Amino acid sequence: MPDKSLASGDVRNNTFTLNCLINGKAISTEVPAARRLLNVLREDIELSGTKRACEMGRCGACMVLMDGHPVNACLTMAYQCTGTEITTIEGLSEVGLHPVQQAFLEEGGFQCGYCTPGMVISVVGLLGENPQPSQAEVEEALSGNICRCTGYGGIMRAVNKAIEREG
Amino acid sequence: MILNKESSGSRWRTRPDGLDKVSGKLQYLTDMTVDGMLVGRVLRSHHTHARILSIRTWKALEIPGVHAVLTHEDVPGLNGFGIAHPHQPVFCSDRVRYTGDAIAAIAADNDEIAEYALSLIEVDYELLPLLDDPEEAMKMDAILLHAEGNVLHHTKYRKGEPEVVFKDCCHIAEETYWTPRQMHTYMETEGGLFIPEDNGRLTVYSATQHGLMDRIQLSRILDIPQEDIRVISSPIGGSFGGKDELNVQPYGALLALRTRRPVRLHNSRAESVRAGLKRHPMKITMRTGCDDEGKIIAHQVRIISDTGAYATLGAEVLNFATEHVMGPYRIDHVEVEGFAVYTNNGVSGEFRGFGGNQAIFALEGQIDRLAEQLQIDPWELRRRNLREYGDLGPLGQEIAQTDGAFQVWEALSNSKLMDADDSRLISKDQHMRNNEPWIVTGTGAAIAMHGAGLGYGIPDPAGGRLKLAIDGKIEAIFGYEEFGQGLIATMEQMLMEQYGFGADDIRIIIGDTDVVPDSGSSTASRATSMMWMALKRLHPEFTATLLEAAASLSNIGIEGLRIGPGGIWKLDEEVLVSYSELARGLTEPIVCETKFNYPTTPHPRVGAHFLYTYSAIAVRVEVNLLTGRVRITDQFHVVAAGPVANPQGYLGQIEGGSSMAVGFTLSEDAVMSEGNYLTKNLDTYLVPTIIDMNGKIEVQAIEDLPDHDTYGPRGIGEIGSVHLAPAVASAVFHAVGKRVSRLPIEPESLQETPFIPHKAVKIHAG
Ligand code: FES
Ligand code: FES
Repeated sequence: MPDKSLASGDVRNNTFTLNCLINGKAISTEVPAARRLLNVLREDIELSGTKRACEMGRCGACMVLMDGHPVNACLTMAYQCTGTEITTIEGLSEVGLHPVQQAFLEEGGFQCGYCTPGMVISVVGLLGENPQPSQAEVEEALSGNICRCTGYGGIMRAVNKAIEREG
Repeated sequence: MILNKESSGSRWRTRPDGLDKVSGKLQYLTDMTVDGMLVGRVLRSHHTHARILSIRTWKALEIPGVHAVLTHEDVPGLNGFGIAHPHQPVFCSDRVRYTGDAIAAIAADNDEIAEYALSLIEVDYELLPLLDDPEEAMKMDAILLHAEGNVLHHTKYRKGEPEVVFKDCCHIAEETYWTPRQMHTYMETEGGLFIPEDNGRLTVYSATQHGLMDRIQLSRILDIPQEDIRVISSPIGGSFGGKDELNVQPYGALLALRTRRPVRLHNSRAESVRAGLKRHPMKITMRTGCDDEGKIIAHQVRIISDTGAYATLGAEVLNFATEHVMGPYRIDHVEVEGFAVYTNNGVSGEFRGFGGNQAIFALEGQIDRLAEQLQIDPWELRRRNLREYGDLGPLGQEIAQTDGAFQVWEALSNSKLMDADDSRLISKDQHMRNNEPWIVTGTGAAIAMHGAGLGYGIPDPAGGRLKLAIDGKIEAIFGYEEFGQGLIATMEQMLMEQYGFGADDIRIIIGDTDVVPDSGSSTASRATSMMWMALKRLHPEFTATLLEAAASLSNIGIEGLRIGPGGIWKLDEEVLVSYSELARGLTEPIVCETKFNYPTTPHPRVGAHFLYTYSAIAVRVEVNLLTGRVRITDQFHVVAAGPVANPQGYLGQIEGGSSMAVGFTLSEDAVMSEGNYLTKNLDTYLVPTIIDMNGKIEVQAIEDLPDHDTYGPRGIGEIGSVHLAPAVASAVFHAVGKRVSRLPIEPESLQETPFIPHKAVKIHAG
């Protein structure tokens, strides 16, 4: 775990060195302090699985786990990531598909797939905290993830299957 | 068949593009990067309507890190685009007509520099009067938005003598309906990567529903031959009709060619809202009359469609609405008149349902209103007027006959939802007895007949190619695009089921203009039908050629062979020759190709359809009288579209279409004021979430077609989205006794004074 002490960096350009773990790998990169995590991921380290759609925290396409909790990468500033452990969709499937991904695959919980990484992350985050959520808790946890294609039926079936398997 | 995973058995398959989607590995075109890439940005108009006096770009050009600043002067070819009418300027030169109009584009090292440089471009304008109301724009003295006038398109259809017959009507329903400016809200906004290749060609990685059409348009704009442009256009993070027109492509292409460097553009959501297409807002006025038996005898319709600043497919959408305001009903005396009108509002274009949604909302509303006057069940009134097998289509045209209309009517009548209770009558009393007297419920239903394909008089080519490639893969090469609808999965399933190949034997190649034949556009619920028909046509020749090749390798006659997973099989026994062995034995690949047209009616009426999908829907809603909010608790869709090609995809399209319709009905409206969007992003534009869609949805598929029918599966991409609104409006009426005529339903219009128990009043009074 990188230490949480103050990061160094070029103060004049308002940049700092972001030290964190991304998908288990230690990252040390020079970025403007107010750069969004979304841009760090997509542009600086080319992990494009985290999607860009509204950039204002409404759609959930950009969800990642920060120390196990789902956060919107579009609302998270680089400086807020210092010393944290970030998991993106790519990180979930490093050793084979995560059970939640498997459930989405089998139930057809996606169509264009653009919302899917964020959706999967939200579900993983939820089940990490509460492996047997009620229907209402699932709905609440996913209410920040918009899917324009599937109508949520397939997504709900996938989540239920994942819960079943966890239990 | 109630469609779900269980009832589908082994036909419920994992999508071939699924693994990459759930694992986040799939690279969408907006995810691509290459070394040395620049970012592109577009400067859009500061005003809704103005003359441009001058444009000065030199300050922007001087910024270090800016590599090009382009304006209308830098367009080598046609400074215009548009599928039907290429008059939308790539860059405006003398006039802007809406705030999405582009004036300049910049390529820079990064977003920050591009943004700063954009702010340094100076444009002098002279303001012109704003036309934000189509009816104002139609007036004689209105300022002209286009030299040819403010009416883009006028439709007229007439049969019989409605004016005369209205005098004989026992009941007449008269109403005006308004529908919203719905936004596609594809999750992936427009964008892509544009690469000038060393050999002088340009590669365009950008979403579209018709790569070859984009190539034609780009070739005109760039003034280079089509062969010098390669458009790669899948996978796409959603389109729903919204990316059929060019959007960022002209800018990316021009900037890449100018800078000789790869350029990436990716619209922000706000930019996408500002410049992107929307569903045409329509105002539909209807007068519908029936006799004392409930037979509809006269129907008069006037449609005003706000097409915005440029044409795109405004005329075609109006044609579609004109056809669909008569629906699946036999009416002898009809008069329809429609106008698609230019305004300074955002541009309206193609959107799932294509004008059907608006038309069906109004028409079904009329039937409900007549039923109320007649005091009969609205569903029964529909039956009395339904078209029958053998009847002509809505415009009096010959159509492919099916029993779809009655089939869906009947299946819905037998559904639990329609039987469940008498809640189509006001059920407030029931709830008064419950603890939550402010929640009332109602059930409503609607029916739709929705045309597929582009219709008479519009070129609608189809075709495809099958090939045994040198590496032994069976390649299916089609000019369609995958934007989430599951086309690749459906194609794979058809190849397995029609031909007998295994999933691993197949390679599907789409979305690359360098290799695909012209299969027409992936739009208008046409692709599944066209793939099915193409594969049917290719079947005899392709399988015969494969079997012959295997026969000559194995010395067994073709009667003793069959196609199977992994290779050619000896009838019931085993694989005799694998596909790769077969391919190795060839001197050149086995290729079969087909070309044909989407089936059309012989009746010469532009836009009239030949193939239709039928559907009926029943919904149950809860209305909260305190908040005025409507919640849909149950939906039952019956769809008659011929054989189910791919159960998972079919269900997904109906469920997904219905969620889009829930938005259209209850929450979505890209609100404009004086030509500017007030709703700019997803905080104020409310797309349904999982909470809004937490009711139950059931889909029943009716698969039978008449024996002689040769057209196979009909499209289902749109049918789930076209009739939910009137069903909800009807359910709301049965819940609260109020008629809805404007979408999305305004909660204020359903709110009632809070229920106050008498006791409380007495105590306070005392
Ligand atoms: S892009 Fe972050 S929530 Fe939409
Ligand atoms: S699958 Fe397309 S947005 Fe969810």
